[in-house]
Amino acid sequence: MKEKDAYIDYEPQQLIMYVEKEDGSYGPIQTGSYISKNYLDDFWEKMIKLRNSLLEKLKKNEITPIYFYKLIHDFNDVELSRRTGIPVYKVKRHQKLKSFKSVKLSEMQKYAYAFDIPVSNLLQAIVVEDNENKAESNMMEQPIIVKQTRTENPFLVITKIELNKK
Amino acid sequence: MIIESFNHNMAAHCESGSLTALLKHKGLEITEPMIFGLGSGLYFGYLSRTPNLSFPMFILRTKPGKLRKKLAKRTDIKFATQRFKDQDKAEQEIDRLIAKGIPVACQVDFYYMDYIPQWERVHANIHFITIVGKEGDEYIVSDSYFPKLARIHKDNLRKARFAGGYLAPKGFMYYIESVPESIDYKNLVPLALKNTVTNMIGVQPPFIGVRGIRTFAKKLQGWPKLTRDIDHLSHEVMKINVFLEDQGTGGGGFRYLYATFLRQASEILDNKELEEMSKKMMEVGDGWRNISYFAAKIGKNRELGSEKLQELGDLINNMADVEEGFYKELKVVSNNI
Repeated sequence: MKEKDAYIDYEPQQLIMYVEKEDGSYGPIQTGSYISKNYLDDFWEKMIKLRNSLLEKLKKNEITPIYFYKLIHDFNDVELSRRTGIPVYKVKRHQKLKSFKSVKLSEMQKYAYAFDIPVSNLLQAIVVEDNENKAESNMMEQPIIVKQTRTENPFLVITKIELNKK
Repeated sequence: MIIESFNHNMAAHCESGSLTALLKHKGLEITEPMIFGLGSGLYFGYLSRTPNLSFPMFILRTKPGKLRKKLAKRTDIKFATQRFKDQDKAEQEIDRLIAKGIPVACQVDFYYMDYIPQWERVHANIHFITIVGKEGDEYIVSDSYFPKLARIHKDNLRKARFAGGYLAPKGFMYYIESVPESIDYKNLVPLALKNTVTNMIGVQPPFIGVRGIRTFAKKLQGWPKLTRDIDHLSHEVMKINVFLEDQGTGGGGFRYLYATFLRQASEILDNKELEEMSKKMMEVGDGWRNISYFAAKIGKNRELGSEKLQELGDLINNMADVEEGFYKELKVVSNNI
């Protein structure tokens, strides 16, 4: 790749690319991500669509929260089992609607840890209507910010809802 | 405190980048492409039966950790490595080394690197960062994928070092104990080249090397059956671009990085044949880059019918042919060094 063809003007995601420089030597340049510059909107559109469709199924009691977060984090049953230390057969069972209520609190804690969420979020969905179609990472665009702070109590989280003062 | 003498630089790849930075800090002048090449990092594998993966994926370099192990075996670089069961001890050991002014590389789950933009962060236990300081509850991190030194809360680092799952880090960390005064490139380069040739066209399972590239082209046609809907298929096809360009490859699926290694090796050994091979490898990289652009475009436009996937498969098959010819030639060149 020629150096002049390699530059992508995209400051939020920088990377190193090895190129043929103008003097014919080969070496690194710092440039931007091609796919993020050109197709990031498409990525967020797909992620928001997936999250919203799964949330609808969750609301209709068609899927369990464990299945919801498993798909969001792109885990399969084996990976989730290894990340939680819960046997695969139990992970499969916990994703079935009729078995979800038999999940122990200690197991919930392990799932929450793997999904990087407070335990309470396995039993609630915090939705801010005005934020619904905004990418989560774009805090500047979100009119309301939800902050969840862990406490020393592993089962208690403080959820604060604030106006985004930008 | 922060280790002031450590120079942070971005690098193409996290593993070769952290190795380069640590070796330079220890006084050995070496480049990232040279580490990648001498460690025979170039590879191809199509993974469709790995139990932990939710979808087939392909890899373009050797297993995480192999670069370091091969360098240790082939040179006199001495690494000190440790894994931990006890998370407190793992943290204390880093604190102890930092206090002594020793930068430490850690294997982590990339997802927890919260200074990286959210869209980039996926669960992958194969990321390497270098810890170069600590202030309060935050560690100072040199990450090859981030333009400046970053900070990470100690709780997040702990989660990242002890995430379970595929290739779980188990608190793995290493630092450099000693480096040689010089490296015997004359002997090492042919050895490293031959290893790469074996990886790519030697006797390997059908999902590895050039045969793996052909398997990828073939199996790609079955992806629609593995996906939930068109958006999921689009997402997976567009990830071809991410794997080839964005996930620490230096572009063109590590082929540009390898071309640079060949060029540097040609200069050190004053070998014109290697210089010619570096030009050819640069062209191989261009071929992969065309594939990554094509995948991104058809994924975005949802042009994912059998014809387009076949077209993509044909491009990939063509690369298999090109690479096969390349490694056959490289084998001859390496025998002549």
